[in-house]
Amino acid sequence: MDPNLPVMPGLAGEIPPPAEDSGEQELVAAILRNDRKAAARFVAAHIDAIYTYARQRLLPRADLVEDTVQEVFLAALGGLRHFQGQSSLRTWLIGIARHKIEDVYRRRLRAPESLDDTAQLDRDPPDAAPMVDEQLDTTRAREKARSVIARLPERYGLILLWRYWEQRSTRDIAQAVGVTEKSVERMLARARARFKQLWLEE
Amino acid sequence: MFDDLWFERLAGMGEGSDERAPARLKSKVYSAAIMRMAGSAPLLDLKETKNSGGHLCVFEHSVALLPMGTAIRSMNPCRVCHARVLGERMEHAPIFWPGCPYSEFHNG
Repeated sequence: MDPNLPVMPGLAGEIPPPAEDSGEQELVAAILRNDRKAAARFVAAHIDAIYTYARQRLLPRADLVEDTVQEVFLAALGGLRHFQGQSSLRTWLIGIARHKIEDVYRRRLRAPESLDDTAQLDRDPPDAAPMVDEQLDTTRAREKARSVIARLPERYGLILLWRYWEQRSTRDIAQAVGVTEKSVERMLARARARFKQLWLEE
Repeated sequence: MFDDLWFERLAGMGEGSDERAPARLKSKVYSAAIMRMAGSAPLLDLKETKNSGGHLCVFEHSVALLPMGTAIRSMNPCRVCHARVLGERMEHAPIFWPGCPYSEFHNG
């Protein structure tokens, strides 16, 4: 276990819900009446959170972030009449975003693996002791992780995000992608090895 | 080091604070939302929108005052407004009309 990583409470990907908003049902009702100003309030209130959520999970494909955010809001509008108010609008939107992002993961990981990705593994250094001496604070560790993931081959970045940041089991990923669990584990092992190499280089 | 547990702890550090979405993206998402809404049913009449507390921009206000049927007042004047075009294509777009959602996305 790396002593440079502080122990932090909370689940991966946890986003605190917004303060109790008694106006959410009114906002939903107004949007369902096709009130354009209500739609503007809806977008303004939630787009930063959805953008952040999508951006952090699509790092290797930052070009997909804006399309995904738009898809989330359009899907939400399409399903708004089914919104029961059992969770906050923010939580409901994050749920839609999670599905959209998993669609991206699934599509990208189904693509054939590039030979470059596996060739790189041969150049990975053998297991080395951690070379980072400084104490990493949480913010720095998050930034470093994002930077490393962005530099990984796309499929490695995505599978690490899916497995650890989205907390999906290798079995779930294997079923979603349509490959064996062993195959997912092998890809994860390669992804971790590349991550490690880049992490220690930074 | 760099095993499952290490990655779980790294991921468990959470998200940090929200980043601001580009105003250009807010504008595009809003435009797409209005297109979707208008495609399913007429938008709420601008008079009713105003009566229910919505702030209209100067152009919407003009349309709301027209002595014409509700079909006209349910149209989306943003479709032909340069504020929408600017809002969707650039950051810090020079749009300053009160009541214009694109202005609020860029200056809010």
